Amino acid sequence: VSGTVADSSGAPLPGVSVLVKGTQNGASTNADGSFSLQNVAGGATLVFSFIGYQAQEVPVNGREVINVTLQQDLQALDEVVVVGYGTVKKSDLTGAVASVKAEELATEGLNTVAKALQGKVAGVTIESAGGDPGMGTRIMIRGVGSLNNNNPLYLVDGVPVPDINNISPNDIASIEVLKDASAAAIYGSRAANGVVLITTKSGEAGKTQVIFNANAGVQRLAKKIDVLNAQEWASVSNAAHDAAGLPRLEIAEDPALLESGLDWQDEVYRTAPVQNYELSITGGNKGSQYSVSGGYFNQRGLVKVTGYERLNLRVKSETTKGRFRFGETLLLSQESWTKMPGGWGGQGGNPVGSAVKMIPVFDIYDTTAVGGFAGAYGPVLNVANPLAQLHLEDIRNRSTDIVLNFFGEVELLPGLSYKLNLGYNNTHGYDYDYERRYQVGTLFTHQTNDLSEDRSHRRLLMLENTLNFTREFGKHSLQALAGYTMQQNRLRTLWGSAIDLPDGIKVLDAAASNPATGGNLYESALLSMLGRVVYSYDSRYLLTASFRRDGSSRFGDENRYGNFPSIALGWNISNETFFDSFSQAINRLKLRGSYGVLGNQEIGDYLYSAAIASNINYVTGADQHKWFGAIQTAFADPDIKWENSSTFNIGVDLGAWQDKLTFTADYFIKRSTDVLLNVPIPGSTGAVGNPVVNAGIIENRGLEASLGYSGGKGDFNYDVYGTISAINNEVERLGTGTQQIFGGQPTHHGSSTTLTQAGGEVGAFYLVKTDGIFNSEEEVQAHSKNGTLIQPNASPGDIRFVDANGDGSISDEDRVHAGSAFPDFTYGLGFNAQWRNFDLGLFFQGTQGNMIYNGFRQDIDGMNLEINYSKATLNAWTPENHTDFPRAVINDPNYNTRTSDRFLEDGSYLRLKSLQLGYLFPAQALERIGAGSLRVYLSFDNLFTITGYDGYNPDLGRTGSILNRGVDYGHVAYPLARTANLGVQLQF
Amino acid sequence: CTEGLLDLKNPNLLTTDTYWETKDDVMSAFAATYSLLRDVNGGYWGVRGVELTNGRGDDFFIRNDVKDLYQFSTFTNAPDNGVVTNIFNNCYRGIFRCNQILENIAEIPMSEEERAQLIAEAKFLRGLNYFHLVINFGDVPVRLQTPQSQEEYYAAKSPAEEVWQQVFQDFSEAKAGLPLEYPAEWTGRATRGAALGYLGKAYLYHEDWDKAEAAFSELMQAPYQYDLTADYADNFTAERENNEESVFEIQVQDVGGTNPWDVGSSNEALGVTTAQEFAPAEVAGWFEAYPTDKIFNAFQEEKTPGGDFDKRMYVTLVWDYPGAMYYNRPFSEFKSEFGFQSRFRKYQNWQNDNEGRFISNINERALRFADILLMYAEAVTMQGKPQEAYEPVNRIRQRAGLSVLPAGFGEAQMMAEIQQQRMLEFCREGLRFYDLRRWGLLQEEIMSSDKVGRQFLNVQKHAWFPIPQAELDNNPEMEQNPNW
Repeated sequence: VSGTVADSSGAPLPGVSVLVKGTQNGASTNADGSFSLQNVAGGATLVFSFIGYQAQEVPVNGREVINVTLQQDLQALDEVVVVGYGTVKKSDLTGAVASVKAEELATEGLNTVAKALQGKVAGVTIESAGGDPGMGTRIMIRGVGSLNNNNPLYLVDGVPVPDINNISPNDIASIEVLKDASAAAIYGSRAANGVVLITTKSGEAGKTQVIFNANAGVQRLAKKIDVLNAQEWASVSNAAHDAAGLPRLEIAEDPALLESGLDWQDEVYRTAPVQNYELSITGGNKGSQYSVSGGYFNQRGLVKVTGYERLNLRVKSETTKGRFRFGETLLLSQESWTKMPGGWGGQGGNPVGSAVKMIPVFDIYDTTAVGGFAGAYGPVLNVANPLAQLHLEDIRNRSTDIVLNFFGEVELLPGLSYKLNLGYNNTHGYDYDYERRYQVGTLFTHQTNDLSEDRSHRRLLMLENTLNFTREFGKHSLQALAGYTMQQNRLRTLWGSAIDLPDGIKVLDAAASNPATGGNLYESALLSMLGRVVYSYDSRYLLTASFRRDGSSRFGDENRYGNFPSIALGWNISNETFFDSFSQAINRLKLRGSYGVLGNQEIGDYLYSAAIASNINYVTGADQHKWFGAIQTAFADPDIKWENSSTFNIGVDLGAWQDKLTFTADYFIKRSTDVLLNVPIPGSTGAVGNPVVNAGIIENRGLEASLGYSGGKGDFNYDVYGTISAINNEVERLGTGTQQIFGGQPTHHGSSTTLTQAGGEVGAFYLVKTDGIFNSEEEVQAHSKNGTLIQPNASPGDIRFVDANGDGSISDEDRVHAGSAFPDFTYGLGFNAQWRNFDLGLFFQGTQGNMIYNGFRQDIDGMNLEINYSKATLNAWTPENHTDFPRAVINDPNYNTRTSDRFLEDGSYLRLKSLQLGYLFPAQALERIGAGSLRVYLSFDNLFTITGYDGYNPDLGRTGSILNRGVDYGHVAYPLARTANLGVQLQF
Repeated sequence: CTEGLLDLKNPNLLTTDTYWETKDDVMSAFAATYSLLRDVNGGYWGVRGVELTNGRGDDFFIRNDVKDLYQFSTFTNAPDNGVVTNIFNNCYRGIFRCNQILENIAEIPMSEEERAQLIAEAKFLRGLNYFHLVINFGDVPVRLQTPQSQEEYYAAKSPAEEVWQQVFQDFSEAKAGLPLEYPAEWTGRATRGAALGYLGKAYLYHEDWDKAEAAFSELMQAPYQYDLTADYADNFTAERENNEESVFEIQVQDVGGTNPWDVGSSNEALGVTTAQEFAPAEVAGWFEAYPTDKIFNAFQEEKTPGGDFDKRMYVTLVWDYPGAMYYNRPFSEFKSEFGFQSRFRKYQNWQNDNEGRFISNINERALRFADILLMYAEAVTMQGKPQEAYEPVNRIRQRAGLSVLPAGFGEAQMMAEIQQQRMLEFCREGLRFYDLRRWGLLQEEIMSSDKVGRQFLNVQKHAWFPIPQAELDNNPEMEQNPNW
């Protein structure tokens, strides 16, 4: 008897065991999935089995050729979920854990891990960092619980890493997001913002597999900011000067002579290629399995010059010999960035900002100028030529990263094993910034070639001893864990800079003047004990309890240790006998509840002691020499202690019609106490910067749900899935009680937009309200209190502001609550379908009900600075044409451009995040090249966005302080790309 | 064995537990306190400080590049103005640092004479910061100790009178303990003369005419050796720094690192960027400031007996006169962006080709003997003794190339002359606005000038800066100034 074995896609399966039932007579399929067996009786039955697939018994019935298709064993894949320091059966899980498996990522041609999570996991907010190639994303799990650092703890194969941007998505077997306290408590003091566990792919016994993936595409700017052309600009500028009674700008004097001028945005942006190649080899036998992969990713930036490159190499293996098990993961990566420079001084900002603000009458090049670029001249704002910025300053960063995890495990007694785990993470950072000499227009001069170089070396060392006990006694199942762990972090930095290098020489040694160097060392350590019990009775009643005690060097002696307990209960209702009558329809129903305490220590090192800042130097002596200065410049609170967050979580998991329909929902209350925070203190204390103190209580309540349905008929299969989450954030107490923290600077010199205070939410918008335009002098006069004008500098065409505090004048004291940066809800919606060999995937994602403060608009709608303006200024109020857009007046006596609700916009959006169309070649067609499977696909990212928001991208991706979250700091942003990719996935 | 793992001391910096052991620590603390005076963001003689003290004067124009500067110079500023906030904060940083020195110096081994001198020096610096606060903001908190607990971060305003008393006390005590001069390696630190000069200035601002007179007359005699430099120009170049006319001077020099904006780092260049900001675009400047035509005309009101311009006019301004050179080019090659007839020459490196590297080495003369002479003249005139003002006023006039005053000036006439001389003598030295306020002439002089934004001046309001919004936001004890 002979035949072939294939998987459901038609790809041949090598290594499948074929056995004549009840005998020793058997064989394995070869590389093209074929087998042959001698001496098979006509009435015998063949058993086909293979790891990860459902075994199949096929009666021979006298046939000589038997072709079989094996179905993947989804049950088996789903069964185990990675949790901290181990795995648990999904059915035993009591905590809120979301899991994303490799196959959900595989078809997407994604280039970063964080993007892979966006919209897929309820309760996880992923905000993109715009289009900047190789930049990370902001991941927030269950809202904003801290004012400090809201980044989750990332672990890659058990090793904590600072971010996951350097991991190739194709190396990932699963991503688990531990959301509630029960799931995350085992990570104690670092888990308050949730935990993201990444497990990389392992080899499978008996299945040697070579996979090659490649994709290449192009990116284009998704949206341009609408600004004036030269002629339009001149007319607005002249109107603004005329209104102020100031002379017109010479360059604008005759608008009729100007044509449209340069479109700076067109000059700065390009259609940029992106390409990605990966090769992975996995395999092994019963004793040892391995997985090796390598990749190269190259993304040119939308903004000329910028780009990102990543090289990855990964080795993972595991060997079992008798009672011993050993394994390791080694991840090597090198990332290189070519970045755009920040502002060159003045208010233009980076090249993205300058491209919008640069006046269209100026030229790009000037061959007579040092450096070759032209620029602004005359009495205009110091906005640089963005192309000069890009080409005259060379900024490159490189990060070389090693993640190593090694474990050895021994089974001491049946069910009891000891594991030693060593983790090591080493990052070498290198930053290079070379600025050549130039003269750009009349406003920017740089007389020397300057160079600065920074090196940093970050090292993490981790040692974990754990004992694991697993035993089933009748209906009781018990899994227990105890551990003792230690972790050390160390960061050493070194930098040097100097000026006046000869042209073309780019090393510090060649510099003629002002050499300076510096360097620092930061260390921290964590010492912990941990324990966990997972118990289930008859797979019906579940209990998980865990405890961790952490000691951290980041706190003073008195407050060094923190305890982090948690408990969770679960009830598999669907396993109860009384449920039998429903189980036809509902195959799975579980209720979960948990409570636990987590900690946060993500503040800087040594903050409990007041430091003496040095190099605050002065000059002294007849010879005018440097006088070294040092003194305490800031305050410290020696009593700072752990930030605690206690989370109560209740959840339900449901599967119906054999998991055709799945549903999970969780409700949680997460209360963070002793929130560590840089409490702004009055400038009159004399401090530089603000001390970190335990200063608040923040509560997040939220509901999150995900729903999925798979169906199909004949050749057509599809699934739909959706996630939704809604979070309500409230600051219960802050600092002194009346403490107010202002934040969210929207422009280079603009005042704050957000206020955080007790009773409100973190970073709520507090703005002066506008109330239309004064259409006449009578209206200006009527806006008065007790006979005095509220806005004495106003004229018709200026904005009427609301004197909210009734003091008869307009000031920042009139700020009132104006909106929220928190969405009412965020959602993701996906649809996948297969028809014969074609597949289609769509993924939508969005937010609803959040506000964005548009900082860009505050500048370019202003008509008070000598820059280019937005198209909207063409519709400015004039005595003849009363509009709702204030008049053009260059000195802006009424302060129309003050930070106010004029620039606050609805930030809701719905985006088609990705669309993918794939084709799987039929197996027969591949035989000739010896390939197992071949799929090609075409994918698009960010095809369209439905939003009322005026800026580049409503998904702001502003990193840094959480108080800035809804503030679009446009002049240093990097806009979003729309991407088209063609990819191929080949498997041998 | 692993307990020690968590005992990590900051390996980069000393902490307050380990500092304040030696005299060297105190000296470094002084450098860090003096350093604030030229700080690029908030230093009273850093670029923003110079723009702030001059910007509201009828002799000064600031262009619409940095909104915060433009707004206060056109009287359209609001409490959120970043420049004003930085100046306010910087003064308190100085005070905090002085208080640290005063609180820690007692335990540090050194001779009692040394200790007394250093205490006096700290009090001088504290007094100077309070002086700047009270003349700019009026009522402000008086803090004489470093906060020991969170509660002490929040302090209410003291009446301006209380601030003045503190200023008098600090300067008086400083005067008693400071030396007349320093060895060459310490040139530039506060001397007894500096304390006495500022004490007199504070009395003058406070209209204690007799006390002011006493202080200035003491300073005009031995052991003090102050004199006017023969050449007015010597006060604004890098060549003749810390000269006989200098009572207190801010030391700046392009030593240290590469970047003038990298405050508090070894990479900070220790010059100032003011000259570059004020220079014309043609020579790598940002033309942020111009003299108004009012000051240009004021200089021409009185010529020398030979019919030439006041000597100070050539030093202070440059305009299109025959042979006028500026940055080694004929002045006529420069374009005036806003139509003003002259530009600043004072404190500019105009003998160089350009202001290329942003960094100027010219020390800012904070208090000149010329100021002492004219303040003395004012103090005696205000006491009805205009005849005693002749000698000092004539010294100023003669150096400027002007003839001596005719006899017989009454009080009002002499005051008008002093006002005129102060306007010309100290243009771009940050005194004009404060003088006009003292004389009650803000409204009259600004409205009669070509100052951009004069129509928005509301004297009751703009005579003083508002308390910064950030201070109000973060200090529940704080109240806004009247009219803001």
